[in-house]
Order: sequence, then C-alpha cells, then structure tokens
Amino acid sequence: MTGYILSRLGQAFLVLWGAFTVTYLILYLLPGDPLSIMLGASGIQPGSLSPQQLDVLRAQYGLDQGVVAHYFSLLGGYLQGDFGRSLADNDPIRQLLFARAAPSLELAGSAVVLSVLAGCGFAYAVSLVTWRPLRQALTRLPALGLSTPVFWTGLLLIQIFAFDLGWFPATGNDGIQSLILPAVTLAIPSGATFAQVLLRSFGDVWREPFIVTALAKGLSRGQVQARHVLRNALLPVFTLIGLQIGNLVFEAVLVETVFARVGVGRLAQEAVLRQDMPVVLAIVTLAAAIFVVINLIVDLLYPVFDPRITRTPRVT
Amino acid sequence: MSSIRDLEETPVPAPVLESVADAPVSGGVPRLRPSRFKRTAVTLRPLLARPGFLLGAGLIAFVLLAAAWPQLLTGYDPYATSEADKFLPPSMAHWFGTDDLGRDLYTRVVFGARLSVAAALIAVGIGLTVGLTLGVLSGYLGGLADEVIMRAVDVMLALPPLLLALALVTAIGFGTIPVAIAVGLGIIPGFARTTRAEVLRVKILPYVEAAKLGGAGWFSVLLRHVLPNSWGPVAVLTTLDFGFAILATAGLSFLGFGAAPPAAEWGTLIADGRNFLMTTPWLSLIPGLFVAVVVFSLNHIARTIEEL
Amino acid sequence: MNCRKHSWFKYICIAALAFAPLVLTACHRKASADDNTLRIAFAGDNTTLVSLDPFQVYWIEHRVVLRNVVESLTDQNPDTGEIIPWLAKTWQISPDGLQYIFTLRDDVTFSDGEKFNAQAVKIAFDSDEAETVKNPGVFGATYLSGYAHADVIDDQHVRIVLSRPNAAFLQATSTTNLAILAPASYALTAQQRSRGAIVGTGPFILQSYVPAVGLTLIKRKGYAWPSKAVTNPGEAHIDKILVSYVPEQYVRDGAFVQGSIDIVWPRLPFSDTESGLLKSHGATIYSRSLPGPAYNLFPNTSAGRLLADPAVRLALQKSIDRPGYAATIYDAQFPVVESVLDRTTPYFKSEKQNLAYDPHGAAQLLDAAGWKLGQDGYRYKNGRALALEEVAQAQSPGDELLQDQLRKVGIALKITVVVPGTYVSDIIHGNYDLIGSYLTRGDPAVLQSFLDPRFALQAKLALDAYDPADLAEAEQLFDAGLITTDTNKRAAAYGQLQDLLIKEGVAFPIYERIWQVAVAKNVQGFTWTDEGFASFNDIEIKR
Repeated sequence: MTGYILSRLGQAFLVLWGAFTVTYLILYLLPGDPLSIMLGASGIQPGSLSPQQLDVLRAQYGLDQGVVAHYFSLLGGYLQGDFGRSLADNDPIRQLLFARAAPSLELAGSAVVLSVLAGCGFAYAVSLVTWRPLRQALTRLPALGLSTPVFWTGLLLIQIFAFDLGWFPATGNDGIQSLILPAVTLAIPSGATFAQVLLRSFGDVWREPFIVTALAKGLSRGQVQARHVLRNALLPVFTLIGLQIGNLVFEAVLVETVFARVGVGRLAQEAVLRQDMPVVLAIVTLAAAIFVVINLIVDLLYPVFDPRITRTPRVT
Repeated sequence: MSSIRDLEETPVPAPVLESVADAPVSGGVPRLRPSRFKRTAVTLRPLLARPGFLLGAGLIAFVLLAAAWPQLLTGYDPYATSEADKFLPPSMAHWFGTDDLGRDLYTRVVFGARLSVAAALIAVGIGLTVGLTLGVLSGYLGGLADEVIMRAVDVMLALPPLLLALALVTAIGFGTIPVAIAVGLGIIPGFARTTRAEVLRVKILPYVEAAKLGGAGWFSVLLRHVLPNSWGPVAVLTTLDFGFAILATAGLSFLGFGAAPPAAEWGTLIADGRNFLMTTPWLSLIPGLFVAVVVFSLNHIARTIEEL
Repeated sequence: MNCRKHSWFKYICIAALAFAPLVLTACHRKASADDNTLRIAFAGDNTTLVSLDPFQVYWIEHRVVLRNVVESLTDQNPDTGEIIPWLAKTWQISPDGLQYIFTLRDDVTFSDGEKFNAQAVKIAFDSDEAETVKNPGVFGATYLSGYAHADVIDDQHVRIVLSRPNAAFLQATSTTNLAILAPASYALTAQQRSRGAIVGTGPFILQSYVPAVGLTLIKRKGYAWPSKAVTNPGEAHIDKILVSYVPEQYVRDGAFVQGSIDIVWPRLPFSDTESGLLKSHGATIYSRSLPGPAYNLFPNTSAGRLLADPAVRLALQKSIDRPGYAATIYDAQFPVVESVLDRTTPYFKSEKQNLAYDPHGAAQLLDAAGWKLGQDGYRYKNGRALALEEVAQAQSPGDELLQDQLRKVGIALKITVVVPGTYVSDIIHGNYDLIGSYLTRGDPAVLQSFLDPRFALQAKLALDAYDPADLAEAEQLFDAGLITTDTNKRAAAYGQLQDLLIKEGVAFPIYERIWQVAVAKNVQGFTWTDEGFASFNDIEIKR
C-alpha cells in the first residue's frame, strides 16, 4: 500500500511538472517578442526607451539569461511557493491569488456540493419514475444541461431571477444572496454530468456478477440496492468529481465574468487581456495542481470504496 | 413498486428492476450482454427515438449547410447596418429580430455557423488525429511506449483545454484559430484514452490473435483488424466533442478572445447581445438557445449511435 | 433517509459538511448598507498602468476620484474654462510668461495634519519634475513642460520659474496631475503612491484601493476651502464613497435598477435603449463633452501604406457619416463631432464644413486616384485592395458601423482586436493604417501628448500620422500656441492647427467624447468640473 501511495505521489509530481513546462513553453516560446509584450503589459512605452534602458528591463524580467536559465529560475521559485510578480502592478502573484481566492473557493465549493447533490438526487428521482415516456424524457434532460453554454445559463438566470423577479442581486460578492445564482449556474453542467453517469451506472451495476452473487446469497433486493447497487453506481461519480475540476475552473472564469464576481477567474481573464504572462502561468499551473491533487485523493480513496482495484496502478 | 423505499423492505418483483435497469428484462437476473441488451431496447422504442434523431440530424444538416453556403438560407446581408431597423423584435421579416446596428440576427447566426463549425472541425480534427495516433500506438505497442504516452496524456489531462486556450491566446493573440487549436489540444486525452481502451479490447479478441499467429505484420493487423473494430466509441466521442468544441469556442469568444469583427461567431453574438439583456433580451438569448439546441442535437445523435 | 443505511449518502453528507464552512462564511460577509454612503460603479480600472499617483494618472475614472482627494493651486470654471483661485488666492505672471508667483491660502491643511504652505508646493513641483527625469514617458510630463525650479518667497508665496514659455501651464496648475500632495507622500516611492498612499487637502480621504476591484473614500472632517466652482463651502454632505469597477454594462445597469448602485459611470456614452432603461428607473442623466481631443482615428502615412496617399486620406474623411454614427450608436440628440477637439476645449474651432459626409465626392476622389470598384464592391488599384487595417483594443459596435459606412464607398476596413502589448508593438512597427487614441485635458496643448512627435507619449504614432510635408507646419503651430498667453494669438494658432489636421487628414474625428453618468433619484447635487470630473462635496443623498 505504501508503495502504491508513493508511486501515485511520484506520478502526480511528474504530471504537475509536465503541465508547468507545457504552459511555460506556450507562454514564453511562442510569442516572437516576449519583451515588448511584457513592456506593454507593465504600461511602459518601448518607443521612449534607449537600447541601454531596454537591456536593463530585459534583465529585470529575466529575459537576458536565456530560456533554459529563465525556466529553471521560475521553476525553482514555484517549488518554493514563489510565483513571481505580476507585470501590470508588480505585486507578488501569490498575494494576488490569496486576495482573490475566497470568492472563487466559495463559488466552486458550493457549486461542487450543489452539483453532486442535484445530480445524484435527480438520477435517484428518475429511477423512481415508472411511467416510461416520462422517464425517457427525464433521462435525456441532463444532456440538455450539458449542451447549454454556461455563460448563457448565467445570463438567463440573471434575466429571470434578478431583473424580472428581483429575488437575487444580479452580481457582486456580498454574502450568500449573491452566491446563489452563480453557484447554480456553475453547478448545472457538472450536475448534469453526474446525473447522466449515475443513470447509466444504475443500469450497468445491476448486471455485475457480484450482484448476482449477492442475490444468490439470499440478500433481498432492497438490501442489494442499498448496499451494492447505489454504492457501486456512485463510484464513477466519485471519479468524475476529480475529472470535472478542470472544466469547473474554466467555467468559473466564465461565471465570474458574467456575474462580475471578483475572483481568481476574473483575474485570469484580466491577465489574458493584458498579456500578463506570469499571472497566466501561475493560474494555469494552479488549476493543474488542484486537478492533480483532487485526482490523487480520489485515486488514493478509491480502494477504500472498491476493494477490487487496490492493486491496480491507474484507475481514472 | 413506486418507490425505492419499497425496495428496501420487500423482495423486488421483476418490473421494478426494469425501472432501474432502463429496459424490460423478463425473469429476474439480468445477465444479458450490453450490446444485445441495448439492441432490444432500441427495437422496442423506435417510434420514440427516431423523431428526435431525425430532428437532430436535420438541424445539424442545416448548420452544415449554413457553414458551406450561408447565402442560400437568408436574403439579408449580415453586415449591413441600418439605423431605422435597430432593436426590432422577432417577426416574420426578421425571425430572430435585429441587433443594435439594425442587422438581421437570424442572418448573423446563419453566417456565424461558418466560423463556429470551422473552429469545431479544426479542434476535432486535431483531437482525432493526434489522439487516435497516440491511443493506437499506446494500446498496440504496450510496454514502455504505452507508459510514456499515457504519462504525456496525463499531463494534458491535467491542463484543462480551456485554460490551455487562455495560455495560447495570451501568447499568440486573439482569433478563432488559436482558440480552435487549443480546444483541439485539450480533447486529445479523451481520444487517446478511448482509442487505447478499444485497441486493448480488440487486440486480444481471438481472430486478431489468429491473424497475428498467421504471420501478418503488426501494421497490417492494426489496419485490417484492430482499427475497424475500434471505431464505434471513437465515433461517439467525435460527435460529442464536436459539440464540446462549439461550446468551448463560444465560451472563449464570449470572453472576447474570438473572431475579428464584424464576423460574428456564435459566442460573440451572445456576448454582444448581453448588454441589452434588460431591454431586448432576445439579442443574446436566441443565439444562446440556438447553440444549446445544436449541441444537444449532437449529443442526441451520439447517444443514438451508441445505442444502435 | 438515514445516512447509516445508505453508505453512498454518507459520503455526500461528509462532502457537504466539508464545504459547509465555506457557505457559512459566505453568509457572514453581508455588506452593511450605510445610509449616507454614495455607491459609484465605473466601467473599469486601468489594468495597464496600475496607479493612483496623480502625476502619472491619465485614466479619467481615477482623475474623478483624485479630484476629490487632492487639490490644485487653481481651478477651472466649468462654464467658461476660465482659471479661478483654489489653493492659491491670486497669481501674477511675468510679461515674458516665464515666472508665476502664487499667493497661497493660509487656512489649508493636509489630511495628515501637515500645513499647506509654499514649501509644500515647492516639494510637490520638484518631486514631479524628478519623476519626469526618472520616467520620461510619464503622463504629467507635458503638464510640467518647461519647468525650471520653484522658489519659496515666504510661507504664503511661491515663485515658479519656467525655462521656456508654456501658455498651458496655468491651466496645468488646475489639474489633478499637478495637484499638491503632502510632503510625506513624496517621501514615499512612486510605487507606494500608485497603490494609494496619497495624502491631499481634498474633501475626501482615500481610505483603501484594491486594483481592479474598487476603492473607498471617507469624508475629511473640518474641510473648508473649496474653489468657487463648488457650492458647498464646508465638509462634504456624504460620509463615504464606495467605488467599484464593473466591466459588464448589463451588470452595472442591473445593479442600478435593483438599487445597489447610486451612480452608473461608464466610459462610453449610453445608447438610447440604455439611457431609456435607466431613466425609467428614476435616473437623471448628466452629460459633458470631455475637453481635449474628440475620438479620432490617426493614420499611418509611412511609405508604402495606403494612407500615404493624400487623396485616399481625403476620401476617407468624406466617407465617414458622423451624424449617422452619433444617431445610430448613441441617439438622435447626440452632438455630432465637429473638429479634432471636443467643443468644451478652449480654442475649439468647428470644422463642420470640412467634415461633411460626401460619399460621392469620396468616390470621385478615389476613382481619380485610380482606385476602381471591383466585382465584390471594394476598390482595387493594380491588384491591390483598398483595405485599411484598424488596430483596436476592444471590439465595439461603433467600429462595426464605421466598417459598414466605409464599405459603401468601397473601402474595406479590417478591424484587428489586440491586447495592450501587441497594440504598443503594432505602433512601433507601424503595423496599422488607422489607430484610435485620446486624452482628456482642458487645454488644446493636450494634442501635443499624442500628435507632436517631440512630446508625444507614442512618438512613433505622432510621427506616422503626418505627411512629412505637413509636420513642420504643425510643429510651428504647436509652438505658436504655447509661446504666448495672449488668448487671441493662441486662438489663431490652434484654429489653423485644427484646419491643418482635418484638411490634410492627420486626424479622422469619429465622435464627440461625451461623458455621461446616470444618477439615482435620491442623489442630488451632481456637478461637473471643467475637465469632466465631478466634485462630490455638493452631493447629497436623500433616503
């Protein structure tokens, strides 16, 4: 077991390092002239600078040391939890992220909870419906939730619940009132995914051999449903929570924009608009880190839920 | 039999199982193979499934036509402004109404299809080509190659497609192409994993083994036996990802990273209309609804293929 | 349903519990609405230059805020543009225009308790000058143009000496850019001032500033030295001002309609639907043309570019339907732009007859210049398309309308939306045909900040805007406008300059830059300053 944990940890680090490297390569090697981008992002007019001044600035941004050295100095910083400074306001990025973290965590956290509850609840409710056409229609409903652009759902909810009915504030981040609409918006796509997967698993699990065994042992169907079917049907959902994080992060960017919430998502949008490369690098790496950590937790907990796969190295 | 609660107390009669297992199974223990099982289900409800499928397929055909020959579908010029026709509500003359510059919104949606479909095609093309290659190599070769490829795929999986897109847009600027490339890169892992799983499944089927033993080269075995039998789930994924690519491109355009004006990608139309949400809500709600219906149709088609 | 029986449900319960604290903290952060707080929503913070340092700030939203925190030696009468006393009671200008002696008020203190006196003024000007040496591209540099040194005569008298005439200098002393901060502020770094470490003499104190999020102002107790442009002689009526940056228009308007914002203050004027909506919810709309340039597009006339040809520039000038633009993008009552300057700028001269919409004239000019209409409705010459590239930083309906207007005479306008970094490098490398830019200041000298290659922040843009043949004349007129404080001579110089810029196609005015705010019914006393900012001392909230 310790070996398993260690190897998973190793893999997680490797993946994270890979993600950082890929993002670095995209941000710093693709543009023809990173210096002019960085100068533009920090509000300096390169036209007014002499070659000497440009050299000083190049050194200040670490662009004089060559790509390899710059990469390793950045990587070294990341390993020590130092993400560098924003080009625009020269603030430490870590400080920026901390300042913006709370609204985003509230939003993402409540969206995850909502989506799991709603997704599972919906699937459960559908499995109770006995009238076939209605169940058919309801089974397709999650696909509609998945097909709707999340920013559009947000606009629709604003139009109805904020502008027409006036129940909630349209925007901002003051308290629970302003959290409800964005959280619901963000929860819809992942909730729909959970519901869809769960509805399928309900079907699949009933066909598993161990269910047959359980029935053969003489357990009642009720006991089987409670102890085996639901528990096993929920396994893919558990995995999915991990896999959904990536989408959730980007959708949070959209939702924060739609609802004008001041969070990490809006920071990401601002950073892209002003080509603040260090900030973009930090946010993308952070998102990858969240993804890796959550999947690591899911992987490590997986054997607890499903003893069949204790020794399988990869499960997702 | 009406509620799950009943299941807990009483031995379950067969019909309840049906409600859980999504299809009628006679006699108790369900031990049918999925494919036959689903085939039965499909034959039992062709009337219900078909109209939806046809409707979806029709809409997708419309979108593809719009992408190829938009002028066939509308009489208006998508870029002609007209002060007198600002903000007209939907009517017989203007099916989706007109926008803030008096342009016909339906026409703009039709002409927007080209960019959206092109972006989705590029994205799916990249995802399909690279993902398929990686998946096949990984599954077929196994060993170290499998290990290396799958770790690379893990890295890409950890980078959500749309965040990758943000990085790419930061580096090379706005436009539909960077956005489409990024989305394409982002859907590679899904294709790679699906293909790999399929190849692994097919590889050990008796007749493939037989072909190998018969002395056929690995490439010809791959080409003749493995690939043709692995395409099913890949086709489903392609259809689904086409929808995903449309949504993703729309999302990035919404943030303002998309196409150059006046060409309007669907996401841009929704984004432009949102400023008039309180006064003329249809400006953003109709294009959004259109996108939702298109993606839902793709989803529905994918599901139908899967069930066949 | 109990958790013990349903193990899966148990996990959900655990997950829910894990997130409960988050949800609970969300509950507790409910903002308390204070009755005497004014809530303003601006469109956005400056994400390129994050700074509240008055000398560096060109961002007009910041200057609105700063106007109420820091004060200047003089003020400008918003009705006449005349310079009136503020922190200086009187002043004398030497006949050669090189020496200014200011007599200061003696009852003024900074909000840190420090006394306002001649020494403070000298420190302020010297510190600003030092900043221009360190950072030559800084915005305030043109305001301070020609500054040599300041002498403290006594506590109430200070002499400012210029090394060359600068007729716009007196107006400059009325701006936020040359506001007088407490000596303690100048002891800090420009970076610290940028992030809000600013102490002034104004009716409000800057309490906090979070870039891109918002800022808070609180009332200065004991304030009693406004200029005559303000009615309220004493402390402000309101206790607190909360400023937030809300980039989304529908969000701002929605917040206003729902009553959680008192003043909606976007960068661009309201469209007629938007103002209709706001008015139907009790808003009063206040408008003011921002002094300084109108919204202009500037050409790239460098060799090989399409706009190097004067005929094409002239045709372009005639192809723009300015009344149609104002009526379509804004509303029928919206003033039509009449010069390179907005009409509130001193020495504004109407160029209406030179800016008439004349598609036929444009077509004739282009035909004569060899640009023939092709099959697709666009013009070509020797196989080259008449396609102009406009580089913009954001998408706007106005640009799309302009695109359609030019299409009618066969000019293709390609709009490239770029991020700030690319925008700057496009200017440097000349990768554009048309580019928009503007700055706000109540004196035509502001044109030099972007149209005089010797002083412009973007020297390359300024240089490329002129046909080489016109540059010398333009520079001479710029100098003529500054060398004398005689208003008639200045008017003549700036009049000729405006003629030149329009007739030679150095600038293509698109629309009058009107600044509009929507003010809630219960907020009274909103007044503009001359430069289109606002004095919040007069505002009262009746709840």
